[in-house]
Amino acid sequence: MSTLFPTRETTADPRTDADWTGRRAFETNLRALVGRAYPRVRGMGREPSWVFFEILLPFLGTSAFVLVYRALQAPEAYVGFVVLGGAMSAFWLNVVWMMAGQLYWEKSQGNLELYFAAPMSLMAVLLGMAVGGLIMSGTRALAILLISTAIFGVQFHLTDWALAIPVFLLTMAALYGLGMMLASLFLLWGREAFHLTNLAIEPVYFISGLNFPVARLGALGAVAIATVPLAVGLDAMRQLAFPGMQGLEGTPPPQTEALILTAMTVVFLVASQRLIRTIERMARSRGSLSIRWQ
Amino acid sequence: MTTPMTTPMTEPVYHPAFDGNGFDPARAEGAGLADTRRHMWTAVRLGWQVESNWTDPLLFFIYTVAKPVASLLLLVFMVQIVGGTGAAGEAVRTFVVLGSALWAMLMAGIAGPAWSVLDDRERYRMLKYLYVSPATFLLVLVGRGVSKLAVGAMGTVIALLFAVVVLGLRVDLAAVNWPMLVLTLLLGLPPILALGIGLAAICLQTRQESWSYPEAFAGALFLVSGVVFPLSILPAPVQVIGLINPVTWWVAGVRGAILPTGASSIGGASSLWTTLTGTQVPDGAMTIAVLLLTGAVSTLAATALFRVSERRARERGLLDLTTGS
Amino acid sequence: MTADVTATLPPAISVAGLRRVYPVKPKPVTALDGIDLEVAPGEFFGLLGPNGAGKTTLIKILTTLLLPSAGKASIFGFDVATEAAKIRRIMNMVAGGEQSGYGILTVREQLWMFSQFYGLGSREGWRRVDELLDAVGLGDQRLQRVSTLSTGQRQKMNMARGLLNDPWILFLDEPTLGLDVSAARAVREMVLAWKGAVPGRTVLLTTHYMAEADELCERIAIVDHGKILAIGTPAELKRRVQRESVLRLEVNRLDGGPAVLAKLPGVVSAALAADNVEAGTEAQRVAVNLVLRDDNALTGVMAALGAAGSRVLGLRTSEPTLEDVFVELVGRGFADEADAEAANAGADHDHSHPTEDAER
Ligand SMILES: Nc1ncnc2c1ncn2[C@@H]1O[C@H](COP(=O)(O)OP(=O)(O)OP(=O)(O)O)[C@@H](O)[C@H]1O
Ligand SMILES: [Mg+2]
Repeated sequence: MSTLFPTRETTADPRTDADWTGRRAFETNLRALVGRAYPRVRGMGREPSWVFFEILLPFLGTSAFVLVYRALQAPEAYVGFVVLGGAMSAFWLNVVWMMAGQLYWEKSQGNLELYFAAPMSLMAVLLGMAVGGLIMSGTRALAILLISTAIFGVQFHLTDWALAIPVFLLTMAALYGLGMMLASLFLLWGREAFHLTNLAIEPVYFISGLNFPVARLGALGAVAIATVPLAVGLDAMRQLAFPGMQGLEGTPPPQTEALILTAMTVVFLVASQRLIRTIERMARSRGSLSIRWQ
Repeated sequence: MTTPMTTPMTEPVYHPAFDGNGFDPARAEGAGLADTRRHMWTAVRLGWQVESNWTDPLLFFIYTVAKPVASLLLLVFMVQIVGGTGAAGEAVRTFVVLGSALWAMLMAGIAGPAWSVLDDRERYRMLKYLYVSPATFLLVLVGRGVSKLAVGAMGTVIALLFAVVVLGLRVDLAAVNWPMLVLTLLLGLPPILALGIGLAAICLQTRQESWSYPEAFAGALFLVSGVVFPLSILPAPVQVIGLINPVTWWVAGVRGAILPTGASSIGGASSLWTTLTGTQVPDGAMTIAVLLLTGAVSTLAATALFRVSERRARERGLLDLTTGS
Repeated sequence: MTADVTATLPPAISVAGLRRVYPVKPKPVTALDGIDLEVAPGEFFGLLGPNGAGKTTLIKILTTLLLPSAGKASIFGFDVATEAAKIRRIMNMVAGGEQSGYGILTVREQLWMFSQFYGLGSREGWRRVDELLDAVGLGDQRLQRVSTLSTGQRQKMNMARGLLNDPWILFLDEPTLGLDVSAARAVREMVLAWKGAVPGRTVLLTTHYMAEADELCERIAIVDHGKILAIGTPAELKRRVQRESVLRLEVNRLDGGPAVLAKLPGVVSAALAADNVEAGTEAQRVAVNLVLRDDNALTGVMAALGAAGSRVLGLRTSEPTLEDVFVELVGRGFADEADAEAANAGADHDHSHPTEDAER
């Protein structure tokens, strides 16, 4: 046998090589997840301009809302609400900008075909995008939180860590789960999706109560708690970080909200998996996996 | 060969599309102003097509309505919640509504050119062709900004209508200083576009994920433009930034024209303006003069920034870069 | 040993009655119109055909990216429609002009990312990437950003990506598109070396360079309008076009002239070559153009020459090239297309640069 070319070990039979154990398939998906998260994490260090645009400027934006309350001589608690909202908005923006339109973008780059042709599931790729994005926006959220806390003297009274940590993680799962679902949906819808991402910012901020307790929205707030992950997550985090604070009453306790978040996560993940199957089937029958076609 | 070649490819193929007038050196020079105007117009039309080309009127409506109205509500609710009732609350609310409605226009105007750079470079991979086309690149971007501004202006109008109809905003049409309103509105356009061009210059250098940069920039600008609270709340050094920022003067001018008796975002007790000039609030003429001046400076600065960025992009071959991650 | 291994395997590619219709407006396009094809394990198989013939469509179906509209296709026995997951574990594909990946990464990082998609271990991935970068001659560019690579370098990187998982079957769609002479050769040599390293590795190649197909492929199918027009080894295809073989025979003397040869069985014609230096059959060196019905007739010719006391100084065949075969089979296509083009000139160019229309 020639050793001319560097070669990996394979069996003598392609049929054996194609027959993966469940464990091997799972490991491949896990690796693909890390592989897809990798460019996002690398990218952070490579283009340092994001520190300015994604930490400093958003911090200033959050400060503007803090100052609105200061100008109105609102109770100090509201400053805390705004700061927490500002930090959480980093995740939402990341979902909107770097998840929702991403698969469509991958398609126009010609990556999507290779993803489909590779042995991993597209869900792994989506999860990888989410994890990479989460690392990026987590840095940003933390920075906004720390800087604002220091500058505006926000006092957190977080005591129930045992609940706060799962609630935060569940919020992330629900947010990025939604991002994965949107990514698949937007792939189906095409370019219009870009405009839809635009639509998903201010209206969602409003019904999620980015700068005020969502309970104050009344019935609309209740609907938001039931449907918008940013709304539930933010409200649960506020209840945990500022327990008993006036203005927060009127929404379910954080334990219940954790359950809502869990349900959302499951729904979003199942929906995105279904959608991906639909997309693959449709794309394979229509021939629309790539835009450029040679 | 035993097989005769029967392809007609060897004969010169004639096609009417090849007809031309030969090389005309004058074409390389362009026709000056007329050309520039034509390119600008083309760019605006093109931008308009791109903006409205996802044709679904419902989507278009939602896009122009939902975004501005939601931003408005986000702020109005903040005021409402912390005891914004009574006459004082009413005044604050009106102040906030006007500022926030204007913001829709500004956001659109500054995001337009930047998104156009990102869109054309990464999504359509057309930036290099756009760049080498005879239309001046800068003008094309300005054109895209103008069409975006037009969409944004509709958003502003709709947000104001919403405020009047739903939130009970009261504007005395007879009291509105119409000439002042039109003048300040128009004078605000060049600096807004200048900010957009400045951002486009930055996006020319950055990567695909810069989509949110205009948004982030606008958010920060919010802080120093007297949109929803008077500048006097800010620390004095930050107030300086507010005063040299044309957007501050634009917002103040437009607001002053619509509500001549309303509060000003610029002057007032303990404001830097009052300390410096001794006057309570800048009057109309002053507002227009400063808007003109700061507008001119920012336009020049943005053009310069754009030229630098363009040169650097050419030096480094950034024009046909794709930078996704 | 080689033979044993591959003999027991199912065909690398098996296609029967394959049709593919794209449901597009204004009327559906039939890209594949009844393809039957079998490629054995270990074969280097080529697909030739004019633009729009359906080559890429066939590759997309075989790489599980596209479903057949009718008919069956399988890779090593796995059905492309129902067993896509299995096929994806043992194949890979590289297309010319491919722009995949993320511009922000370096060559090395980008390939590593793909290695993870193919399920290689993290450490193994880095090792394999470095190994392949050396093999494709991109060692010097390994730390360069992907967005800064030249076309040829990019294509070498794509080739490296295609080999990351050491597929059993590799699909190459115009892999040397836009490459310079030596880069194209490097790619060809690389594929040959890679394929030769393990018996059973199969390659399906499409190309518009006839010489490339001739050099690489053991068998070739010529397709047009979604149908296979001819299939066989390059030699068979050439013979198919030109059943007779044309020979140039040089002898020291030829008593009785070419007419003697022309009468022999299997000889279609024999005539003095136009470039004979000295006319006449008494010359020291006589060149004759011989057209034989098939190569077997040559035996008779040789025997006759020996009997006549002529000594053979030279014998050359002038075989047709693959290009002749192509032109013979699909050449008229050019004429058809030129007509069609003229008919709807300018009608379908709206996807070009958006400012173009507005400009003029
Ligand atoms: N996604 C698609 N939707 C509609 N029609 C398509 C699609 N892809 C290919 N076609 C059409 O199918 C036919 C075959 O295309 P295909 O790409 O398979 O040709 P090809 O042999 O690869 O050509 P080339 O040599 O130019 O690459 C063409 O007429 C093409 O226009
Ligand atoms: Mg092709």
